Amino acid sequence: MPRRTTRRDFLNYAALAAAAPIFEVKPLRGIDFLLQNSPTPRKFLIETMPGGVALFDYNNDGLLDIFLMNGGRITEGLHVPENFERGNPRYWNRLYRQNRDGSFQDVTQAAGLANAGNGNYGMGVAVGDYDNDGNSDLYVTSYGKNILYHNNGDGTFTDVTAKAGVAGGGWSVSAGFFDYDNDGKLDLFVTRYMDWDADHNKICGGDWHTYCPPNAFPATTCLLYHNRGDGTFEDVTEKSGLAAKKGRALGVAFADYDGDGFTDIFVSNDGMQQYLFHNNGDGTFTECGLESGVAFTVDGKGMSGMGAVFQDYDNDGRPDVLVTVLPREIYSLYHNEGGGSFNYASLEAGLGAMTSMSSGWGVGLEDFDNDGWKDLFVAQGHVLDNVQDIDASLRYKELPLIALNHKGRFEHADSGVTKPVAARGVAFGDINNDGFVDAVISCLGGPPILLLNRGGGDNHWLSISLQGTRSNRDGYGARVSVNGQTRMATSAGSYLCSNDKRLHFGLGAAEKATVEILWPSGMKQVLNDVRADQFLAVREPERS
Amino acid sequence: MIHLLLFAWLAGQAGTSDAMQHLQAGLEARKAHQIDVEIAEFRKATESDPNMADAFVNLGSAYMEKREYGAAIAPLKRALELSPELPVAHQLIGFALLSQGYSAEAIPHLQRVGALDALGIAQIETNQLTEAVSSFTAALAQRPGDPDLLYYLGHASGLLSKDAIDTLLATHPDSARAHQALAENYFVLRQMPQAEKEFLDALRLRPELPGLHLELGQVYANSAQWPKAEAEYRAECKLRPGNAEAAYRLGAALLQQGKAHEALPELKRSNELKPEMPETLYSLGKAASLVGDGATAEKTWLKVIEIEKNTSLAAQSHFGLAGLYRKQGKTAQAQREMQEFQKLQGAISPTRSE
Repeated sequence: MPRRTTRRDFLNYAALAAAAPIFEVKPLRGIDFLLQNSPTPRKFLIETMPGGVALFDYNNDGLLDIFLMNGGRITEGLHVPENFERGNPRYWNRLYRQNRDGSFQDVTQAAGLANAGNGNYGMGVAVGDYDNDGNSDLYVTSYGKNILYHNNGDGTFTDVTAKAGVAGGGWSVSAGFFDYDNDGKLDLFVTRYMDWDADHNKICGGDWHTYCPPNAFPATTCLLYHNRGDGTFEDVTEKSGLAAKKGRALGVAFADYDGDGFTDIFVSNDGMQQYLFHNNGDGTFTECGLESGVAFTVDGKGMSGMGAVFQDYDNDGRPDVLVTVLPREIYSLYHNEGGGSFNYASLEAGLGAMTSMSSGWGVGLEDFDNDGWKDLFVAQGHVLDNVQDIDASLRYKELPLIALNHKGRFEHADSGVTKPVAARGVAFGDINNDGFVDAVISCLGGPPILLLNRGGGDNHWLSISLQGTRSNRDGYGARVSVNGQTRMATSAGSYLCSNDKRLHFGLGAAEKATVEILWPSGMKQVLNDVRADQFLAVREPERS
Repeated sequence: MIHLLLFAWLAGQAGTSDAMQHLQAGLEARKAHQIDVEIAEFRKATESDPNMADAFVNLGSAYMEKREYGAAIAPLKRALELSPELPVAHQLIGFALLSQGYSAEAIPHLQRVGALDALGIAQIETNQLTEAVSSFTAALAQRPGDPDLLYYLGHASGLLSKDAIDTLLATHPDSARAHQALAENYFVLRQMPQAEKEFLDALRLRPELPGLHLELGQVYANSAQWPKAEAEYRAECKLRPGNAEAAYRLGAALLQQGKAHEALPELKRSNELKPEMPETLYSLGKAASLVGDGATAEKTWLKVIEIEKNTSLAAQSHFGLAGLYRKQGKTAQAQREMQEFQKLQGAISPTRSE
């Protein structure tokens, strides 16, 4: 006869449950990808920067598929024009289709995504349905030229870069689709890091012989492309005013921070001030990072901005900004105070003690335990592969950070990852459709890591898929509130990556939800008494 | 200078007429910058009159001028045999011996003429470190700010410190002080686990030793182990409630953990113990701002600006004030402070902490 559970047993179980890892590190069945960053003794700066991950459903079968960006081959003798041998399958980007049993199948070649061009060293990926045909398209960034792949809806993609006019050039990093003019067509924003090529590479650190800091190279501008709606884009970087601000941009995240109905852009810059481009609503942007309080740390210092996320962490309905940085700095959290003003909140939120020795890249604010508060996840690993020789207290390979959100204050938790890695990108999504957010991390020189949320507990959830009609079909830019929580609809953010576009809400004990959607078109939609624990598709009403 | 002294001294000397002629010829050659002729003439003078001290001094001086310090030693020694009080000869032979590595031999000559800088170097080389520090300190009093003297004083002090620590480690390897010294060394080398171990060993042996908790706190702070750092700083504050640094460090550690309410009294206490320390004032302003005490924040940051004027701390204070005024809706003042911040920031290049 089983022994009766005592109060002491219960407390012990509760303690064990609290300490249990959030994720289970699962092998990605069917995925044999290795991120080839090709480090060399010449310390080409691009080597330490890839690569992106996209979680998206390319074939509309209801299962998230995985797209993984690869770097390329670099040799010590690399010179302009560079050849990264992207035609070699070892250096292909890869698309893996998820099967019903949770395994994956490499469909790269069949999908037409195999060779990203020998002159292009791969970086990041953005996902968006730019032609509103119901199929998610892919935009991949590189050092070199970027590529726009149109999803044909039959399992294949077509390179439409030349026609679309979005090849860019230079060193592109993160990118994202958003609709800055609310015309119902997704536009495209691309961050660019610096003015660099193999012939102008430098090695720094004296005897340490290591990668140079960003200020060793000239700054450059980001790119903004306006979607004309006919399959072509116009480069409006100059016209929009964005070209006026050069930077060393790595991450990008979108949200309407001041509630004026237009999506704004946050850009994380490396080794300098951060940029917040306020959307003036007339096709132009004004950089207002300094005035709004997101440009510097609380001490007025620039930072090594890498990844960025623009979501509401304290459930006050306003999107906040979080930027990942290098050690001896603190991941910067800016609380949106309303009225276009932010307040540095890293210390109050508990990030001061937790993040000052880590190097953060990809980042997300996702509710991993469905308690109704967005938790923090960061892919970590230092830039310098020999940092431990330079500073014994730092590590090149790190564990990812997961911190659970307790009403606006973050507490360190166990991610379940036990082996440190040189992580870069991380994308979030409910891969196994169990109502809990999972993550896929990219790691330099290694395979991706799938972190499958262990789930459990009694908390409820709701996952919302938006379908815009007057707004862009993905609903990017919509402001969705569920039981007092708010999410900005976007797949962008993190670093180099694209997240599951479905909007996930943890509901805690609530079995019903009230859903309020403010579409980019201006349409407001309210759904009452929505049942919890379901994937809910919401179509924008055609008429108000 | 040495040549002028030589001329003055020579006026009262005498020798054989042949020797005097060569001596005179040597002096003429010196005026004409014909150094080899000078040496040859002085040598002939010494050969004509082996008891003519001035000829030997001049020969030694000529070799010194030609940077043949080894060759200078013998004639200068002979000069001193003939005239033991000759100051110029003492100075020259002191330099010559030092340059050839005969530091111990050089010391009495350099002491005799009060050549403090050269004496200090000779004392370093003979491991008379305490004396060397004294010599350089005295020399600096005569030539304040001299870069060479400052360098050598620092060098000698460092060696003296190392010497004392080596002795400590050799004679009392298991003492608390030995562990503390090792810990400090590891800390400088950023080997934090080893530093932590040694500090803990020192504390085990002498838990009341002032400064140990503070230093251990620094180890934890450097490794971002803030709760542990806080505990050590608290222990130091308990041991030494009058120590301003301990209170400041405790306040800073609390601030780092977002405990601004707890940080504020510690920083205030530190400021009372040691008023007008800019770092303390800046952090005090930060803590006050975080807890919503705008008046204290404004007052302390304005004080930092008054003290610091153009430093990065002043820039940070302008930045803090701009944020404070923005929150208070004082737009014009916020803009003014932001302009001041930007102005100062222009002079302070951005860095990446790697």
